[in-house]
Amino acid sequence: MKDDPIYKDRRYRINELRKKNEKMTSRERTIKAINFEEPDRIPIDNWMVPEIKKRCMEYWGCESEEELLAFLGVDVRDNYGPSYVGQEFKKFDDGTVADLWGVRRKVVTYGKGTPHEGTFKEVAWSPLEHMTSVEEINAYKAWPTPDWWDYSKMKAECAYWHPEYFVLNKGDRLDRTAQLKPMMYLRGIQQTFIDLAMNPDIVECIRDHVVNYFVEYNPKVFGAGGNEIDMFMMGDDMGGQRGPLISVEMWQKYFRDAFRKYCDIAHEYGLKVMYHTCGDVYQLIPEFIENGLDCLQSLQPQATNMDIKRLKQEFGKHLSFQGGMDIQQVLPLGTPEDVKKMVRYAAENAKRGGGYIFGTSHNIQADTAMENVVALFEAYHEYGVYG
Amino acid sequence: MSTLEKLSEYVEHGKGKEAKSLTQKLLGDNISANKIVQEGIIKGLDAIGEKFAAFEAFVPELMVAAMAATEALEVLRPKMTHGTLHKTLGTVVIGTVEGDVHDVGKNIVAMMLEGGGFNVVDLGVDVPLAKFLKEVQYHEAQILALSALYTPTRLAMRDVIEALKKEGLRDKVRVMIGGAPIDQDFCNLIGADGYAPDAPQAIKLARSLLA
Repeated sequence: MKDDPIYKDRRYRINELRKKNEKMTSRERTIKAINFEEPDRIPIDNWMVPEIKKRCMEYWGCESEEELLAFLGVDVRDNYGPSYVGQEFKKFDDGTVADLWGVRRKVVTYGKGTPHEGTFKEVAWSPLEHMTSVEEINAYKAWPTPDWWDYSKMKAECAYWHPEYFVLNKGDRLDRTAQLKPMMYLRGIQQTFIDLAMNPDIVECIRDHVVNYFVEYNPKVFGAGGNEIDMFMMGDDMGGQRGPLISVEMWQKYFRDAFRKYCDIAHEYGLKVMYHTCGDVYQLIPEFIENGLDCLQSLQPQATNMDIKRLKQEFGKHLSFQGGMDIQQVLPLGTPEDVKKMVRYAAENAKRGGGYIFGTSHNIQADTAMENVVALFEAYHEYGVYG
Repeated sequence: MSTLEKLSEYVEHGKGKEAKSLTQKLLGDNISANKIVQEGIIKGLDAIGEKFAAFEAFVPELMVAAMAATEALEVLRPKMTHGTLHKTLGTVVIGTVEGDVHDVGKNIVAMMLEGGGFNVVDLGVDVPLAKFLKEVQYHEAQILALSALYTPTRLAMRDVIEALKKEGLRDKVRVMIGGAPIDQDFCNLIGADGYAPDAPQAIKLARSLLA
């Protein structure tokens, strides 16, 4: 940590609030919360794009990401799973790179020449997009196998954070346990929607390949991590800005069984399950609970029906929540006052009886002013306290 | 059930092949292209739009309905170069703004606008600002429709509107915007003429912008 007075001043408020409020480790705090008990303060999870992470480090005078998270009082530490040791991901002349599934991605730059310039990796080519039969899909040569991973370092990597922090095994965006997302990458989003409406055989075929992979892979991950993993996170985007992307009936038909299977496997290893989805999934929440979900993240308040107060009232006895901080309007366009109001609203309505972890509805994006990021973390510590 | 009603049902349920062959049959029966569009295709799209609004239909159903509408429209296109439908409801230039490559929502909107009687020029994704300006002028578009999925990329919408002003084109074209991070506040903030939260409402908005 840099010791210049300017950084000390900037860190002062968060440091003071933490000194006053914190009476347990991050791990104890988060475990209590997901078990529906009230800890000392609401635990904090953190999702940021690299550009914001860098700005935060500069602003608060932190010399590493680890220092930044420790200073901010972020309680959750991400574990990205085993190390990839399969064949090298192929690079193509057009600048695209193949991923685990053989899907080619390219780097897209937005906001060129502006202060909010950044990059995203986007799908550039979906290998199954033009296939028309189950036979062709079955013959696809690049289906991944769990043998492409080295699990030997995972336990030590997780243990590094213990006993202080709460370790969340979440994989990365490309190998995170899911069903619909890999299907969309492999087949293209538009074609996937068409398949869902018209080609049930193809949906089931791709889904089975994806599910079989994770059903084999996850026990190896959980076994390797042992008791150094505190929670398992899977993720699929089932929600749009208004309403689920697909009907409840379609979810039941295509995705329910593996959702349950994924939860069951984690539970067999004593792990609770967190599930990431963007958007409005209100209609699906009873299904999620029924099929074994423990914690839903990352509530997107601008989506219809995702008001945290209502979700807590209706489902809070059975489901814990992470998220609720709006990255679509309040953080990029609001004032620090608006940000504080948002944090306060979530805290007041979701903290009772535990079952809530602070978090943003997705990564804080590069278009967010630093003063709003400061307001967010200061408000977490101001309004998150119990008692 | 009349044949036109049957066509609207095929469109609503995303039965593209059936919609296409029925449209051919209707043309053979000397039903005007205009009538087929108004009482068959648009009616079907409106019906799926209502179900979507009521959370009874979702993206897959909306997408195949929009595709069925465009398939039926393909049959009519040769008949639309003259006669009453030579004049469409208006020309819409549509695209996803620079830095953003997401097009699923934009494609559904484009298909539904086309099915809904508009002439649609789809510029695709990651469209540079200058291209929007050029194409709006070239096609003498009444509407420019901009899409974005990410919050940082939506700022490019503001740049397009500023550029239209600078080029003296702002009064000549109505700008409508959409995409997950767009709402009425953002629309007001950047001075667009309208925002729609989904494809069925985008058709209504486009109609109202030209009313």
